[in-house]
Amino acid sequence: MAEPVLLAPEPLIAGGKRPGQVTSEILATTERRASPLWWAGFLVAFGALAAGIAAVAYLFSTGVGTWGLNNTVGWAFDITNFVFWIGIGHAGTLISAILYLFRQRWRTSVNRSAEAMTIFAVICAGIFPVIHLGRPWLAYWIFPYPNTRGPLWINFRSPLAWDAFAITTYFLISLTFWYLGMIPDLATLRDHTPSRFRRRLYAFFSLGWDGSFRTWLRYETVYMLLAGLATPLVVSVHTIVSWDFATSVIPGWHTTIFPPYFVAGAIFSGMAMVLTLVIVARKVMRLEDYITARHIDAMCKFLLLTSGIVGLAYATEFLTAFYSENRYEQFVFLNRALGPYAWGYWIMVVANVLIPQLLWFRRLRRNAAAVFAISILINVGMWFERFIIIVTSLHRDYLPANWTMYRPTLIEVGTLVGSFGLFFTCFLLFCRFLPVISMSEVKGAIQFGRTRPGAPAPEESPLPAEVHP
Amino acid sequence: MRADEPKRYWKSLAEREGGAAYSERAAAEFDETPFAAGPLGSRRSFLQAAGFSFAGALLAGCRRAPVEKAAPWLEQPEEIIAGRSYYYTSTCGACPAGCGLLVKTRDGRPIKLEGNPDHPLSRGGLCAVGQASILGLYDSLRPKQPLLRGRAVSWQEADREVLKALAEARRSGGAVRYLSGTLTSPSRLRMIRQLLSGLPDGRHVTYDTLPAAAVLDAHERTHGVRALPHYRFDRANVVASFDADFLGTWLSPVEFTAGYSQLRKPLEQSPQMSYHVQFEARLSLTGSKADRRIRIAPEELPWYLAQLCARLEVKAQRSSGARLESLPILDDVAERLWQARGRSLVVCGAEHLDAQLLANYANELLGNYGTTLDLRRPSLQRQARPGDFAELLDEIATGRIAVLFLDGVNPVYDLPDGEQLARRLRKLPLVVSLAERLDESAEAAAVVCPDQHYLECWGDAEPVRGLFGVQQPLIPPLRGRAALESLAIWAGAPKSAADIVRETWEREIFPRCKAKEESFERFWERVLHEGWVEAEIEHPGSAFNPAPAQAALHRVTKTAAAGLTLVAYPKIALLDGRHAYNPWLQELPDPITKATWDNYACLAPATARKLGLTDGDVVRLEAGPERAVELPVLVQPGQHDNVVAVALGYGGHLTRRFANLGPRWLGWRPSVNAGGCVGENIAPLLERDGGSLRWTRSGVRLVPTGKRHALAVTQDHHTLTVPPRLAAADRGRRPIIEETTLEAFRKDPRAGAQGHPPPAEDLWPRDHTFPGHRWMMVVDLTACTGCSACVIACQVENNVPAVGKDEVRRKREMHWIRIDRYYSGPLGDVDVAFQPMMCQHCEHAPCETVCPVLATVHSSEGLNQQIYNRCIGTRYCENNCPYKVRRFNWFDYARDDRLANMVLNPDVTVRSRGVMEKCTFCVQRIQEARLEARRRGEPLRDGEVQTACQQSCPAQAIVFGDANDPASKVSQLLKSGRAYRVLEEINVRPSVTYLRLVRNRREAEEEERHG
Repeated sequence: MAEPVLLAPEPLIAGGKRPGQVTSEILATTERRASPLWWAGFLVAFGALAAGIAAVAYLFSTGVGTWGLNNTVGWAFDITNFVFWIGIGHAGTLISAILYLFRQRWRTSVNRSAEAMTIFAVICAGIFPVIHLGRPWLAYWIFPYPNTRGPLWINFRSPLAWDAFAITTYFLISLTFWYLGMIPDLATLRDHTPSRFRRRLYAFFSLGWDGSFRTWLRYETVYMLLAGLATPLVVSVHTIVSWDFATSVIPGWHTTIFPPYFVAGAIFSGMAMVLTLVIVARKVMRLEDYITARHIDAMCKFLLLTSGIVGLAYATEFLTAFYSENRYEQFVFLNRALGPYAWGYWIMVVANVLIPQLLWFRRLRRNAAAVFAISILINVGMWFERFIIIVTSLHRDYLPANWTMYRPTLIEVGTLVGSFGLFFTCFLLFCRFLPVISMSEVKGAIQFGRTRPGAPAPEESPLPAEVHP
Repeated sequence: MRADEPKRYWKSLAEREGGAAYSERAAAEFDETPFAAGPLGSRRSFLQAAGFSFAGALLAGCRRAPVEKAAPWLEQPEEIIAGRSYYYTSTCGACPAGCGLLVKTRDGRPIKLEGNPDHPLSRGGLCAVGQASILGLYDSLRPKQPLLRGRAVSWQEADREVLKALAEARRSGGAVRYLSGTLTSPSRLRMIRQLLSGLPDGRHVTYDTLPAAAVLDAHERTHGVRALPHYRFDRANVVASFDADFLGTWLSPVEFTAGYSQLRKPLEQSPQMSYHVQFEARLSLTGSKADRRIRIAPEELPWYLAQLCARLEVKAQRSSGARLESLPILDDVAERLWQARGRSLVVCGAEHLDAQLLANYANELLGNYGTTLDLRRPSLQRQARPGDFAELLDEIATGRIAVLFLDGVNPVYDLPDGEQLARRLRKLPLVVSLAERLDESAEAAAVVCPDQHYLECWGDAEPVRGLFGVQQPLIPPLRGRAALESLAIWAGAPKSAADIVRETWEREIFPRCKAKEESFERFWERVLHEGWVEAEIEHPGSAFNPAPAQAALHRVTKTAAAGLTLVAYPKIALLDGRHAYNPWLQELPDPITKATWDNYACLAPATARKLGLTDGDVVRLEAGPERAVELPVLVQPGQHDNVVAVALGYGGHLTRRFANLGPRWLGWRPSVNAGGCVGENIAPLLERDGGSLRWTRSGVRLVPTGKRHALAVTQDHHTLTVPPRLAAADRGRRPIIEETTLEAFRKDPRAGAQGHPPPAEDLWPRDHTFPGHRWMMVVDLTACTGCSACVIACQVENNVPAVGKDEVRRKREMHWIRIDRYYSGPLGDVDVAFQPMMCQHCEHAPCETVCPVLATVHSSEGLNQQIYNRCIGTRYCENNCPYKVRRFNWFDYARDDRLANMVLNPDVTVRSRGVMEKCTFCVQRIQEARLEARRRGEPLRDGEVQTACQQSCPAQAIVFGDANDPASKVSQLLKSGRAYRVLEEINVRPSVTYLRLVRNRREAEEEERHG
């Protein structure tokens, strides 16, 4: 006889947690002394950050000539890193805003760290457009404000100006969203911490949260409204970043496919980065009960979808080049696949399109180690995607006399390493001092799936099942 | 009226009737209590404001004020206004060709050299070397003072030393020798004669590093005069050149280019152009312009000439019975020459007597003497007699010389046994060098009396017999002492250079000129104004004697050398190395190889493949025992397979100065090789045959070393076709350069058009209207020879820095105009096309829309303007430029040589680190011409604005002007059937139009070549 079909959902939080247990378990990381593993990670990250600071200091003191750019290839590592980090940032907003609106309850375990990741990734991204300038000390000239330089207005036709608006908007909204979502947890921290100093600090930032019904009501309303506001940003930011290329006249850049292609790629790379971080975090911080195989599985499905979109975009670019009858366009794509940077192109295709196909297998999706490896590969692949788009389009364009090659210098590699250092330094500090999982939201989800037969019964259930927070 | 009331006076009825209200109003009109509490605040607030402004002013004043050392004219010289440019005529002294100059000076310093358009030889053009020579004036490493055995001494002390030695020689009859290159200066020659005439054994010996002795000797035999004919390319409808690089480095390239290109500008109404065939071993600049180019080994050259002569003999029915071998190409060349007899020219650049005899014979058979070859007014360059020099070397070897003067020559560097010569020079009683800079020979000299640069002293030149040019000083001397003055002192009659030159002209030239002026003073004024004068000459007739030529014709056999033959060649810009100190010339890409800052062993593709060598592999070139030089390989299409060609002029001590050139940072690498010099001197590989150096040497060995050397090449991809495996639809040549044949052009002036026209109608209204001027440029690809004079002219005009080998290697050269060079056709037998590429000043400029800070905008006259102050350096404009003509300041390029900074054009901003720059269409020249026209109160006339590249172009391939003026030259050319624009199909609407490249070929021939 066939087994009965299981219709009840799988629980989101394992271990049959009670709310009080949730609080103490999640806060444990912020209250106990840092583990040697944390220190090791922090020192590595901080070392990388220091290397990056040294590289940027040298860049500022000496000039952009310390990078491997030339008269033909005016952007390479700088803008590659910029687009890469902006892409990483996308998963955070997607998870916190769009999945919230779609009532995807599994997001509660990962949204806090994904949002934190977004903030740090956007900070990393924002550094590059500034440091890539020939005269970075004049970077503020890109903002339109009444000034004494004429007054000199900016060129609203330039996608770089839109970029500045898009990124600052995105950063501010993401930051607000992250902070707002953290207020109830900050209040919990305030009430929980023995240290007077920290109590006052948390008290300040929790904005007098009292947990009353009215407070909760307003909080939920604002959160939903912000989610609605942030949703278009998920699409707009990377669309605008893609216009940096799409509005040019350079074959390989000048294409209308870029906005959806970039957005899908951004979500793809962002999800991969969330997975990378979360899989490590749950292991190190013993949060397996909160971030379960079910969460990883759900995010892998996202990877599978966006990998498909990205793969389709790769193929479509070739089709449009072929269909365009434009010799320059056709050459650029053949040059990508078979030219001197073909190795980079094939790293990109293998890592972004072929390897994610393994995720069709449920067993692999639920194998944290395998998913971790795949997520790392996708991160590498997506970095190469941006590198290939930028460098191969520039290095051989219209006039063969201009053709040249690009090789990064140590200073550029140092800057890339430094951006990872900054990212992980921030993330590790976040893990140490703030709740990595949204306690208030998880508490609302602990009952989820508990009706399922065989699910561990809670020792004591203060909340009715299926309460929407 | 009451009595106690004071008498009231009133000024108006209003006052009388107005009462209190009026007086209140009247009082307020001149309120004298401004600090009473009112709209201006109280006394208190005034004091606050005053205190604040005072503190503010104090703080602002705490900054160190810029030190400004302005030296006002105590008495302003007449006709000199500070900030205005003045042009003076002079004669270029960078090489003996003696081109006419207009020297642009600002505030008492020369800042730019331009060709003198009225000069009969150069006709307004000036080559890269001439343009760059101005930097030599401001060379801070030129010695200021004389050196006595390496010690800086006073002029008196140096003169005492020389005079003592001369007196000793006069007493004891010791030999005094004056060694120089061929001097064309009548004054200099007169002073040397004066110096030597008082001595019992004084002789003037000349030797040329770039000799023409074989031409002279051949004419001595065939015409009885030892003369170098004045070649007239402006009259030659058919040119057959045998290894003569007359457009690049041979004799007088500017003059030859001007004449040559004059006959190579096919127009629709007269679709004519000259025919040029080139026989050569390596691919020279001249060969790259030839309609037909035949690769021959250097050893075969005389035989080819003999075969040509034999064919011409038959046609002239003067056959001497030479055997004719089947060579269809020569049949064709002979026929074309014969059809154009009297208007054809056979030139031979090889230092081979038989070859030169045969060339003379060919020209004689064609009746070219008197038309395209002028022996009546021969060229006075390269007059050296190798025999004299050989004798001198023997004298030096035996130490039989008392005093040796070295003037403008560097034999220690030039000769294969230079080090031995240096040792011998050190042993001589006294060697006096008059070098401008401390070269190898000056280092070996006991006394160095540095000569002056030709822009800071008086001088003259006679490049062609009877054609005199004057050089005038344009700045108070910065370094050294004029050689003329040194010579006068040593001859015992001290005199100023000005007096010496005037004296020469008054005594020797004025009487011969049949001048319209009565007095010399008036004549001299005219000469200084015009810069040159033509004198009457007496000419002994010369009769042709065919016997030596016919003997040569029968003597020459077909020979082939075994192994590789070394061909040493003078390179454009560097020549024989006399300008190797000049960073602009070192950084000028060779027009053919596009390499900078190095010499290298050019190998034919087939040879390189056979030896398994590629670009940058280091090989050891061996010519006999202990005669080896290590050089990187450069694969050169179009070169003969048995030849390895290496440029002269590298590896000299003058290039040691470049050890620290370029922006210093972690990744910096020096511009010099391990030996401390730029490139390698190949003199050790050459053979000296008596007094002449052989530029070819058979049987050299080439040994791969396994080492690599990164060449600084500005162009990596050399054809307009993409690599075959990346060419799905992009087969064939990209329509960047359009070309056609003369035959096709005759049928259809638009023949060869390839690109798509842009959309005729735009959906949008025009971004720009051009109500006044509309500046446009036309570049004739048929006329352009790739000589690169424009590149240096632009560099001087626009303060473009030289960045060093490492930066060029990283593809960051800063030139605003570059010459793209593309090969086509089979590898061994390539066609070459040159394309000057500068900012195209697009009407729909892609760079303008993407700049976020509006640092690049369009002017109402069609210029794409770059505003350095606004630029923050995003480099998006550079990425989005389809022509990649924008240049970024990657570093702060060093400007710490204050003397060298004097060459900077004050009208052009020196760009700082982090900003973008590019060609401006010489906006400062437009502005200057406009202001001048406004001052005159007249509209700007066509031709008054000339860009720097246009001005210097010897071929006049560049035309600039107002396209809104239907009569302007530019407007006329825009209507030409040959006109096209690069990348027109992307609708950026460039303002630069190119005129299609036309080769004088038959269509069938073209199809055969390119399949």
